[in-house]
Formats: sequence, structure tokens, C-alpha cells
Amino acid sequence: MTANNMADPRRPSKIFRYKPPNTETNPTLEDPTPDYMNLLGMVFSMCGLMLKLKWCAWIAVYCSFISFANSRSSEDTKQMMSSFMLSISAVVMSYLQNPQPMSPPW
Amino acid sequence: MRHVVFLLPALLLLLALPDTRGRYNDDFDDGEDIAEFDDNDFAEFEDVSEDPAVDVEKEPPPRAAPSSTPIEDDEDEATVENEDGQDEFEDADAQDQDMYSKYDNEEFEGYEKTNPSFKDTLIYREVPAHLQNSWESYYMEILMVTGLLAYIMNYIIGKNKNSRLAQAWFNSHRELLESNFALVGDDGTSKEATSTGKLNQENEHIYNLWCSGRVCCEGMLIQLKFLKRQDLLNVLARMMRPACDQVQVKVTLNDEDMDTFVFAVGSRKAMARLQKEMQDLCEFCGDKPKSGAKYGIPESLAILSEMGEVTDGVMDNKMVHYLTSHADKIESIHFSDQFSGPKVMQEEGQPLKLPETKKTLLFTFNVPGMGNTSPKDMDILLPLMNMVIYSIDKVKKLRLNREGKQKADRNRARVEENFLKQTHTQRQEAAQTRREEKKRAEKERIMNEEDPDRQRRLEEAAQRREQKKLEKKQMKMKQIKVKAM
Repeated sequence: MTANNMADPRRPSKIFRYKPPNTETNPTLEDPTPDYMNLLGMVFSMCGLMLKLKWCAWIAVYCSFISFANSRSSEDTKQMMSSFMLSISAVVMSYLQNPQPMSPPW
Repeated sequence: MRHVVFLLPALLLLLALPDTRGRYNDDFDDGEDIAEFDDNDFAEFEDVSEDPAVDVEKEPPPRAAPSSTPIEDDEDEATVENEDGQDEFEDADAQDQDMYSKYDNEEFEGYEKTNPSFKDTLIYREVPAHLQNSWESYYMEILMVTGLLAYIMNYIIGKNKNSRLAQAWFNSHRELLESNFALVGDDGTSKEATSTGKLNQENEHIYNLWCSGRVCCEGMLIQLKFLKRQDLLNVLARMMRPACDQVQVKVTLNDEDMDTFVFAVGSRKAMARLQKEMQDLCEFCGDKPKSGAKYGIPESLAILSEMGEVTDGVMDNKMVHYLTSHADKIESIHFSDQFSGPKVMQEEGQPLKLPETKKTLLFTFNVPGMGNTSPKDMDILLPLMNMVIYSIDKVKKLRLNREGKQKADRNRARVEENFLKQTHTQRQEAAQTRREEKKRAEKERIMNEEDPDRQRRLEEAAQRREQKKLEKKQMKMKQIKVKAM
């Protein structure tokens, strides 16, 4: 018995539960990319809607995709979906108002 | 009945004829009927043509005028009329052309050509692109959508690859972990502490595993930090700047499991970076990273240590063997009893109290392949996990001798003193503000009291308290003066 105990390092009595690290005290641990991209996406989609710029709306769609790809699992999906929908609506509205194709900047 | 049938077309013809005859009457009649039309169609040209000799020549211009005025006034009708006229009177056109060749330019005095160069510069207006029936004009949009599809494809492929790598790692390490820990896999949410037996997915590229229930340690958190394969931007950025997947192991220890020392070993770059970033390495290991050649480890690795005795204690044969054979995979190994994470940059000056420390062993391993890893490569990391387990047991046994312990205690006291000195002014200010706030709160309470008697009594009590404090201070000052003398 004792030999078994000595060889087996496991101690069920010494179990500690997992505590997710507190990111408030250590903000450097968090990846800010999804939050930045979310904000950027919203800004671009508002620009696209207000100023009727098609390229702004397209960039907003890309930003929301990037934000989704980098997001954490714990993050609210509602926020993701809302930024998504906003950017897609920006694209659709730009084309409804002006069906002309986008002209390249060159 | 038959009469009616024959009569109808005749009637129609009769009705149609006057219209057509009226317009082209002048072609067949030499000018007899011009007088009839003087009032309406040719009224504007009365002064131009009064001479009967000019009548013949006048015929083409009036002929041209009525055809042109309808054009000027209403293009649609004119074109329709012309077409109708042309279908039925082709002979008339031929006759017209003969007559036009006999034009005298003076005939057109007073008639201003509104579109003189109509035939020379014919401007072809481009049909707006969105009205054209071609998808080619929308090539920018097609490009955008293609880009989005490429992003989605890459997301799916990257996510799957990361997931497969994580699973492969876990499968190869599962046995070792389950033989060493009572609890393998816990996300902290379930009521009972049972092993979930699987990785906890934090992200599409970060997987966690918490193991606990072992001698010599509180618990072990393993983080598989893969590259962001699911993000196309990151994939493109990595083409410029290659990076590799990392496995981070953080072992937290109880107080009795580790003696007081700070030690780190790893690649030179990593050591230089950690010395700047980490709070404890910065304070306790002030010297530059030393080469590990003295202990037999490759030149690529450097050592940061609180004192030489610690290095001697940690670098035993087995450890040296591990480090030598897996030097390329080791990014950093950090043992510390004063671990508090990276230095926190405070905006309002320095923190008012020492950061919390925890006895920790940190291991950071690089997965070989520089990003191009396959699930099979995960087996290569197994010896490193063996090294981790060995280190846990070793640290438990490693004890400094008396001299070392004294030195370590002195170091810690020194660090604490420095910290207190630096924050002295801040702490004083904080205490002052707290006192002022208390006074303000009291005054407010007094003001808010409606009963004047009670107000008076509270005010008196506050005054007495303040007087007492002043007296105490004066006593202290006197005592200090006496002592100084």
C-alpha cells in the first residue's frame, strides 16, 4: 500500500479547482484585436451608410469577419452578430442608393 | 352587306388622302396651292417669297421648313411623321434631292442653323455601367466577394488544423498527465471536481488544460497557444515574420513546496525580454544573462539567477541532459517564489502595495516546425512534459543552505524597502486625502442634522476630538526633540 502511495504522485485530496485568470488586473494578457476590429467595423459601416461610400461598407464587412475569427469563446455572440448585420446592411444600402459598380481608386 | 364591305376601305382612303395630299401637295402642284397654305404653315416665310419667280425655288425651303420646325419643336412626332411620309412617298424624296442640289445659299438667310456641326461631332453617351447587362463592370465587387470567400475558407481550414493539433497533443500526453494528476481537465464551472478529460477551448487558437491533485504542487495550467491559422490576415503576416506554436505550462506551488529563490534559463532573446518584462526577474536577477556553457548546456541558452548556489542546485545532470537535448524547443524556464506576472504599468504613479506573489514554475516551449506543424509532431513534446514533472519534484527537494537562505531573505527585504520608499509620498498623500474625506463626511452629517441641539453637540464633539489630536502631535514632537537632545 505504502509503496503504491509513494510511487503514485496523485493526491485526490489535494485537488484545487480551476480559476480563470483575472484579466482586469492584468490587461496585457488579453488580446485586444477582436474589440478593436469590432469598433473599426462599426465606424466604417456608419461611414459607409452616412457618406454613401461603398468601399467603407466593404471594409466594414471585412472588419467584422476578422473580429469574429479572433473572438474568444466566452464573448457574446449577440455583439458579433450585431456588428455583422450592421456591416452587411451598410453594403446593401450603399448599393440600393447607387447601383453603380465600385470604381477602383487608380 | 357587300356594299358596306366595299364602302369601308373607300371611306378610309378618302379620310386618309387629304392628310397626305395636304403635306406633299406642293411637290405635285407647281405652286398653285401655296396660296392656300399661306396662313398656317408658310406664314413666317411670307416676306421671303412674294415674287412668283421665286416660288419654284421657294418650294424646297418651305418644304424643308415644315419638316424642320416639327423637328425643332417636337422630335418624336417629327420622326414619326417623317417615317410615315418616307414609306409612302419615296418618289417624293428622290424629287426633293434633285431640287436641293439647286440650292442657293442666300435662300437660307435668316434661317439660323441650330445644329451646324451635328453630323461632325456625334457624341456617343456611355450607358451607365449598372444599366449594362454585363457582370464585367462589377469586377471590384466580385473581387471583394472572392476575398470574403477566401477568408471563410481559410477560417474553416485553420480552425480545423488547430483543433487537430490540440487533440493530437492531448492524446499523446494524456497518459502521462493522468498518471500524475488526480484531476485532468477542469473548466471551473461544474459543481463537482471531476475530470472532464478534454481540453478547454478558449479561442480558435488557444486551448487550456487544468491539472490538479498531486504532491508537491497546487495545480498545473497548460496553455496550447497556437498560431492564428483561422485569421487570413495573420497568415499573411506570418509569411513576412515567421512564428511558431507555443506550449505554456504554469505550475503553481504551495508555500511548503518551494524554497525562496528566483531562477530562469532559456534562449538569449527570451531571457533579455523576460528580464525587462517580468517584475521578479527585474528585481532579483539584476545581472545580465550568463552563458550556460559552464554547466554544459548549449551556447544558445542563457541563465538568469538570484545567486550562484541556486544555479548549481537546479543544474543537475538530468536537467542539463534535458536542456541539451531539447535546446531548440525551449523558449524559457522560470522558477520563482516571488512571481507576480509582468510589470504592470501604473498610470497614476506606482501601486500603493506590493503585487501579490505566488510560487510558480513557468515553462514555455516552442513547437518545432515554425508553423508548419503536423499532428504527428506533437509526440516530440512528450519528453518536455517529463522534464516539467521532474522539475516539480526537484524544486520540492531543493533547499538552500543557511548562507543562501540569509542572502535570499536579505534580497527580499531590500526589495520591499525600496518599494515602500518609492511609495512613501504616495501613501502619505493617500492617508491625507482619507483624513480629509472623513472630516468632510462628519461635517456633512452635522449639517444634515435638523435638530439644532444635536447639531451643536456634534460640533462640540468634533472640536474636542481635533483638539485632542493636536495635543497628541505636540506631545510627540516634544518627545522627539527630547530624544534628539
